Amino acid sequence: MQPRREYNIVVLGAGGVGKSCLTAQFVQNVWIESYDPTIEDSYRKVVDVDGKSTVLEILDTAGTEQFTSMRGFLLVYSITSLSSFNELAPIRDAILRIKEVDEVPMVICGNKSDLEGDRQVSKNRANHISKKWGNVPLYESSAKKRLHVDDAFMNLTRQMIRMMGATGTQKEGDKKEESHQERSGSQGGDMGKGKGKKRLCTIL
Amino acid sequence: MSVTTMLAPSARNSASSTSSGFVPVSRQNTIGSNDGATRSVRASKRYSVTALYLSMSAQDRDLEIEDELARVQKILRDLKSKISSQSKKNFVLEKDVRYLDSRIALLIQNRMALEEQNEVASHFDESAEVEGGTFPNDQKTQSYGNLFYLLQSEPRHIAALCRCVSMAEIDSLLQTVMFTIYGNQYESREEHLLLTMFQSVLSAQFETTPEYSSLLRANTPVSRMMTTYTRRGPGQSYLKVVLAKQINNLIEHKDLNLEINPLKVYEQMIKNVEEDTGSLPENLPRSVSAEDAAENPQVQAIIEPRLTMLMEIANTFLATIIENLEETPYGIRWICKQIRSLTRRKYPDAKDHIICTLIGGFFFLRFLNPAIVTPRSYMLIDSVPSEHPRRTLTLIAKMLQNLANKPSYAKEPYMARLAPFVSNNKTRINKFLNDLCEVGDFYESLEMDNYVALSKKDLELNITLNEVYATHALLEKHSAELLKGRDTSHLKILLEELGAAPPQVPRKENRAIDLPLFSRWEGNIDDLSAALDITQEDVFFMEAKSIFVQLLRTLPATSAAARRPLNLRKIGDTATTMKDMGMFRKGMRGLELLNQLQELGVISDQDNFMILREEIEQELVHLGSLKEKVMEETKKLEEVYKTIRDHNAYLVSQLETYKSYLHNVRSQSEGKQRNAGGKQQKPQVLGPYKFTHQQLEKEGVIQKSNVPDNRRANIFFNITSPMPGTFVISLHYKGRNRGLLELDLKLDDLLEMQQNNHDELDLEYVQFNVPKVLALLNRRFARKKNW
Repeated sequence: MQPRREYNIVVLGAGGVGKSCLTAQFVQNVWIESYDPTIEDSYRKVVDVDGKSTVLEILDTAGTEQFTSMRGFLLVYSITSLSSFNELAPIRDAILRIKEVDEVPMVICGNKSDLEGDRQVSKNRANHISKKWGNVPLYESSAKKRLHVDDAFMNLTRQMIRMMGATGTQKEGDKKEESHQERSGSQGGDMGKGKGKKRLCTIL
Repeated sequence: MSVTTMLAPSARNSASSTSSGFVPVSRQNTIGSNDGATRSVRASKRYSVTALYLSMSAQDRDLEIEDELARVQKILRDLKSKISSQSKKNFVLEKDVRYLDSRIALLIQNRMALEEQNEVASHFDESAEVEGGTFPNDQKTQSYGNLFYLLQSEPRHIAALCRCVSMAEIDSLLQTVMFTIYGNQYESREEHLLLTMFQSVLSAQFETTPEYSSLLRANTPVSRMMTTYTRRGPGQSYLKVVLAKQINNLIEHKDLNLEINPLKVYEQMIKNVEEDTGSLPENLPRSVSAEDAAENPQVQAIIEPRLTMLMEIANTFLATIIENLEETPYGIRWICKQIRSLTRRKYPDAKDHIICTLIGGFFFLRFLNPAIVTPRSYMLIDSVPSEHPRRTLTLIAKMLQNLANKPSYAKEPYMARLAPFVSNNKTRINKFLNDLCEVGDFYESLEMDNYVALSKKDLELNITLNEVYATHALLEKHSAELLKGRDTSHLKILLEELGAAPPQVPRKENRAIDLPLFSRWEGNIDDLSAALDITQEDVFFMEAKSIFVQLLRTLPATSAAARRPLNLRKIGDTATTMKDMGMFRKGMRGLELLNQLQELGVISDQDNFMILREEIEQELVHLGSLKEKVMEETKKLEEVYKTIRDHNAYLVSQLETYKSYLHNVRSQSEGKQRNAGGKQQKPQVLGPYKFTHQQLEKEGVIQKSNVPDNRRANIFFNITSPMPGTFVISLHYKGRNRGLLELDLKLDDLLEMQQNNHDELDLEYVQFNVPKVLALLNRRFARKKNW
């Protein structure tokens, strides 16, 4: 049997920006209406990329800051919340530091694009950041209306395939990523996690 | 004086006793207090008068009561202030450790420029204690004293500021607000002002949030503050009571795997089969879909009993939480109550379960569940749990959160199997969340506390220069927003007077000052009874009651005057014959008050002053049971204090580790430079130091040993440090010349292991615990730290 390509995606971002809704739309094609904050969820989805079946392991994290110590790596902002947008930069810094590479597969996703009336983050501003960070692909998505959900995830998947080679990766070492380490009394949990792992990918 | 603690033993007590039918003191209420219809008003007012009187007598120190109650109360009071100040120290340390956590990884990877190394080093310049000092300038002292009085007594300013600041600015504000301005965690006035501040921010948040599903979700300065609030002394004790035992039970079972995600279970199963048989049968493909994994009968057989067990564990967590309703800190319950009433006001159609969802969004999501998922950060356990218990704890937290939110849709299909936990406990949890909200308000006692504060001549705030300047800078920066529509406000006057905010001073020059607080507008209140609209007879009555209670507590129990039924005149007379001047004065005053009250017609000689006598008796009974309560509370707080101190020691050792690491990095790079310049310097060898097996085992350095028990006494270790940052550990057997094993260790490696949460260092015969080894090396090989 031909080995399937497997990639890990970690969805990161501030609380309430719609990480779970985005993920659920992508994985299960559903719109979640209820008030249901995430603690930690994991999903698997098989997608077809250019005729090849590819397995995505998606870890949906808690945005609630109290859980930051269990944060894997990465995420989403809401176009209706400037502060959620501002939280992206420190997360990106942490990722770049940890990954020890200057280029990581990354997509920026401004969710809740259906709430145009409440917009706080202009498209220009987001474009600017995207350029500044080396043309990181930017999507304005709506999990509710299922706009650009697949685009964001698939773009990311393609980046991973391109950067890591088409063979995909073996499974060993995954446990380490999933075991959310509790950092010794502090909340800076993202540091020192994932040294030498090149497969994890970010949706910012 | 000891009586004061009756007023504010714990915020919960004072607030709940005011809850029923309390009518605010106002001028109308006191007029015609002889009127039968107003009697209940009068009765309720008496409570506030009592409280007021008792808090006033806090300053009256001419008679130190020396009974048991007074002693235990003093212990409790000291403990509370120690907890408050220790919490602040820990908060500051945590901030440093957090900062260094993020820098140290860079150091390990040699990615830090020299300037940044200097910056990091400056974090160690400041010794744990900030030295005391005074303000350079008297005028400034006055203005800042007034400014901080205003900020403390009118929480709306801080509330407004919280809404303006960015997440980047929050850290300095958080420290000042939570640990300085409202830092006395057990003082009812500061606690209540802080809660008032939360209320004002919360209601603003409800105003601006378009739909309830977004409420309380975002990470805002306010959410940070509420979290910090839940982690202060009272919240800490609660978490210990409710969670520590359960979590510790659970993590003892290191190998108990309760994973119920079919994919993970399947993968584990495949792995086991492969290990056992060396190959995989045809019918077990390596990679399957979640659906296929879930349908596999073997997977189902593994998961089935785990579901039952998880539900059992979650049930015991839930039962403990519900049982301990009354242990829940007043402030946290009061926040729940605000969430409920704000929701009802903003969304009149909101169903009860929606409201419960929002309460759960605070109580479980921000308070309980973080502690369940990361118990180490909340000091509930000593070490990081191993993989299986950690996953179990996450699953428990998910179940509890599901129970609070009752989502109609299970995002992860496998979680649906735990639905019975939600359906069986739905009613219980909704009742619990509603019960949480059943606490009284505190506005009445807050008003009084504020008056009392004004009457105090010595209101002071211990604050550092940098806190003062940082707060000033934030106020200045956001002044346009803060002063909108308030052109003549006191805040505006003060800010104009103070001018531009001074920059932060270097850590070395930072000073802690005692800032006298006062208000130039309100002035001191000298006559409290006038300020509070209390009649003279009320004040006399309360004073008499307080004096006779004090006398009775001081008189020997065998004294004839203490016999029942009480004879108040006799008690007064006895006191006036005593040598103690304080007793004499109290006795005289007591007798005088009896006469005055009789003239006013409040009490009568006819029935031996029955009304007064009865109240005194009641008070004494109350004081008797109070002692038990005080002792109980003391015991609990002692534990909290111990935990906080342990955590402090842990943080300090963490900083020490970083410190010596940084020291090594720098001395090595210096060494290189020197070598390049041609000068050779011989590194100083430290050690060898000898440690016995037994000693290291006791200290927890050895976490696992394969050495047979009867041989352990013959095993010892030598540790040498040939140069900074390098260690050689050798293992010896008594009587043999050559070591059994030698291991070269670099501090970098150890630190990196610690960063990666890799706790075990394998020495073949024994297994060392990495953090403990680090601590040991630091202690033993501390080189001169003159950098």
